[in-house]
Amino acid sequence: MGFWDTITDLVDAATPWATADAEAPAKELPEETTTEATKEEESTEAETAAAEEEPAAEEEPAAEEEEEEEEEEEEEPVDPKETLEEECRNSKQCSPAKHHFDECVERVTNAEAEGGAKEDCVEEFFHLAHCATQCAAPKLWSVLK
Amino acid sequence: MLARSCLRSTRAFASLRNGAVHVSKRAASSSSSGSAADSPLRLNIAAAAATAVAAGSVAWYYHLYGPTADASTPAEEGLHPTKYPWVHEQWFKTFDHQALRRGFQVYREVCASCHSLSRVPYRSLVGSVLTVDEAKAMAEENEYDTEPNDQGDIEKRPGKLSDYLPAPYQNDEAARFANNGALPPDLSLIVKARHGGCDYIFSLLTGYPEEPPAGAQVGAGLNFNPYFPGTGIAMARVLYDGLVDYEDGTPATTSQMAKDVTEFLNWAAEPEMDDRKRMGMKVLAVTTVMFAMSVWIKRYKWAWLKSRKIVYDPPKTNNTPPRR
Repeated sequence: MGFWDTITDLVDAATPWATADAEAPAKELPEETTTEATKEEESTEAETAAAEEEPAAEEEPAAEEEEEEEEEEEEEPVDPKETLEEECRNSKQCSPAKHHFDECVERVTNAEAEGGAKEDCVEEFFHLAHCATQCAAPKLWSVLK
Repeated sequence: MLARSCLRSTRAFASLRNGAVHVSKRAASSSSSGSAADSPLRLNIAAAAATAVAAGSVAWYYHLYGPTADASTPAEEGLHPTKYPWVHEQWFKTFDHQALRRGFQVYREVCASCHSLSRVPYRSLVGSVLTVDEAKAMAEENEYDTEPNDQGDIEKRPGKLSDYLPAPYQNDEAARFANNGALPPDLSLIVKARHGGCDYIFSLLTGYPEEPPAGAQVGAGLNFNPYFPGTGIAMARVLYDGLVDYEDGTPATTSQMAKDVTEFLNWAAEPEMDDRKRMGMKVLAVTTVMFAMSVWIKRYKWAWLKSRKIVYDPPKTNNTPPRR
């Protein structure tokens, strides 16, 4: 994968219309100011909320409440690795490994119920995990930043 | 090939039978000797025997040394990490410094409570991860020993840029004591110090399964992780979705945090990487120019030789017929 990327990079660098940004795109450039701005927004929101609820109340508890509410409102980010690997595990590509693993789990759990199991499913788990991560790796990298 | 040689051998056997007849006939009819010595029968026997010995010796060698004996089970070896397409590992790519910034945040907020990063000073963070003011402010949050004063007492002073990142524990013994006997390794060179490098670190951080597979033995105080040799690791899973709040608003999923902190640890292990790759590019550029020049100079130096013309001027003939 490195070789053609390198070629295209060199071509990009050589073309006269190519531009090189010294900094990140302008949106993210003033990080401190944006964080300050968001803080200000939050505080103003908190102020307005406090003003709506109780005009005489202190701002701090209101702000805390606001933050908590925001955290609750924010959806928990879902890990793409889990979902992608789950898809891969159930895909046709990994069906032999999954078949062996499921069979082993069933056998070992039955053996454990009857008495002592003399084996474990670590090796089958390895094969399945290897297949799933291998299949999910490029997809995962296209999703992650 | 094999089929052809088989055919030939059957033919040889056929000739063997005929030859036997021949030989007896000849012996009966004439007294000339030595015909049996170079008959195709003996030659074929020699070739077949040599082939059999060759095949046998190869088979014997394979029997002795062919199958490899693994001293450890796959579980003891650990699951080999998958190769991930890291951008910064490509030849002409640098670290993503936005990712380094996020990764440092993850290290500071999550890893630093147990793992030291003792070979990285604050000054090296300046320009690659933090700005000068941020690094100074962060250094001043810690206290370091001063030089002894006039009375020989060692006092504390706030940190400076030249100070190294503080370790969470005083020494290894304290670290072991606090972690149930397990020593959290220093992370300064961890990417270089583990087989699989970045892939291993990323896989280890994200690879904790919900529950260990059926029948797997997990020791007391250990957690199951397929990528750790022996599969029992003292470190529990630490990265959970939404654990840190990234300042640039990137969704802090487990894999995103693991990716960022792995890239940061790779930076910590080889901070010279960006410069090294630029130096490599310089070397390539200069070498190509030199090569092109050498080609032109060679053409120039060889021009007299390459452009000369060798002419054979035969002596004038005067229409006499050639001699016999």
